[in-house]
Amino acid sequence: MDDRKIQILIDSLWPMIKAGLQFTIPLTLIAFALGLVLAIVVALVRLWKIPVLSQIAGIYVWIIRGTPLLVQLFIIFYGLPTIGIKFDPFMAAIIGFTLNMGAYNSEIVRAAIQSISKGQWEAAYSLGMTRGEALRRIVLPQATRVSVPPLSNSFISLVKDTSLAYTITVVEMFQVSKQVSAVTYEPLLIYCEVAVLYLVLCTVLNALQNVMEKRLARFSTR
Amino acid sequence: MIEIRNLHKSFGSLEVLKGVNLSLEKGKVLVIIGPSGSGKTTLLRCMNLLEMPNAGSLKLGDSNLSFDGGRKPGKKDVLKLRQNTGMVFQSYNLFPHKTAIENVMEAQVVVQKRSKEEARSRSAELLAKVGLSGKEDAYPHELSGGQQQRVGIARALATNPEVMLFDEPTSALDPELVGEVLKVMKQLAAEGMTMVVVTHEMKFAAEAADTVVLMGDGVILEQGPPAQVLNRPSDGRAAEFLNLLTEKER
Ligand SMILES: Nc1ncnc2c1ncn2[C@@H]1O[C@H](COP(=O)(O)OP(=O)(O)OP(=O)(O)O)[C@@H](O)[C@H]1O
Ligand SMILES: [Mg+2]
Repeated sequence: MDDRKIQILIDSLWPMIKAGLQFTIPLTLIAFALGLVLAIVVALVRLWKIPVLSQIAGIYVWIIRGTPLLVQLFIIFYGLPTIGIKFDPFMAAIIGFTLNMGAYNSEIVRAAIQSISKGQWEAAYSLGMTRGEALRRIVLPQATRVSVPPLSNSFISLVKDTSLAYTITVVEMFQVSKQVSAVTYEPLLIYCEVAVLYLVLCTVLNALQNVMEKRLARFSTR
Repeated sequence: MIEIRNLHKSFGSLEVLKGVNLSLEKGKVLVIIGPSGSGKTTLLRCMNLLEMPNAGSLKLGDSNLSFDGGRKPGKKDVLKLRQNTGMVFQSYNLFPHKTAIENVMEAQVVVQKRSKEEARSRSAELLAKVGLSGKEDAYPHELSGGQQQRVGIARALATNPEVMLFDEPTSALDPELVGEVLKVMKQLAAEGMTMVVVTHEMKFAAEAADTVVLMGDGVILEQGPPAQVLNRPSDGRAAEFLNLLTEKER
């Protein structure tokens, strides 16, 4: 590799990392956190068959899971402004990814809650707990443990999927690599560099997942 | 303490309780026996409303509930009744993510809003009472079945219920562990706890019960002191069931 290429790699590294810190990582964290709250609400509404809301939740999950994420992002960012609903690119991305996470993770959360035996609910009720108390104190903590592996997978997918935000003009990591590649004419080099950055990010997250699973394995569900 | 009148419960088209009448005075022990599927568990679960009866009435402590005409008690009444009863389950149903002492503390902190320190010291006392001093910080999976069930008893006692409900508390246990659980139950009975116990342990019934109820097919076939019900059943079906039991024990 000649000096010029090495220089390009070094010069482009910080702008990409900066874009990662400014957009990729915040987008991932915010969308995942909001998406998880949404997922829990959707899962409970469906599990408890709350009239009207559970039908709405069902339709929401059906639509989000049945249409491409890219199309959803385009509708939010390019489509909605035509009826007067405008978001800046980052906001549009947050909304799009949150809705996406909410739908996919609601299925994970639902399965995790259902995997907790009826006896746990009954033990909590027999002690005089309300449904909310039983959920918060007894069922969710156990469901969390069950759902850490699948939720981690969905989190890691999200990290990579945020690269799609470049299509709605968010200046995240991939967008920067595209710009650098356009001025340096080194697409192979630059795209490999950004690939390595994603890889590092996902590897770190994988390691965190392992730590978390170990900590949660202190007790075992029978 | 407990007064059940004409209690009915159906699951869909299956009528499981067909008008049960029962009463129990404070400090007495009622043992319910009967063949599988006769409705023993269902009756017990109606007493803390884990199952909602379809008709009849239930008095327990100062709860006075009627289910006639499709009536259902309000949330507050349900919670009040449940706090006044403790239930011990066949499969223990301990909270696996909490230690023994945390299992016992849970309802005191969450339901009764006691401070953690207060709950902890009371829970330690209860664990000592069921013979589990030193096991406070063990998780349920680190305990034997008999120890788990004793934690279950301590947990059910933690909210100071007036009535304790036991659903076959020893039938998931290895035979050598049954004794330690029955011992705790006898001790409770001796202390004057009002207890309703579904069990197949005839020896416990004979020794600890004040009243034995024999259920068959959703109704009470026999009801009376253990000596009468266990030894001289007047009902044909009851005699048949008891013969079956004694044969098994032989
Ligand atoms: N939640 C339920 N839904 C439908 N049917 C039920 C339900 N719970 C119990 N049943 C039925 O009600 C009948 C009585 O059940 P129950 O568990 O009260 O019997 P049991 O006397 O406790 O029997 P066992 O000795 O086997 O525990 C059975 O036919 C059972 O299949
Ligand atoms: Mg039963």
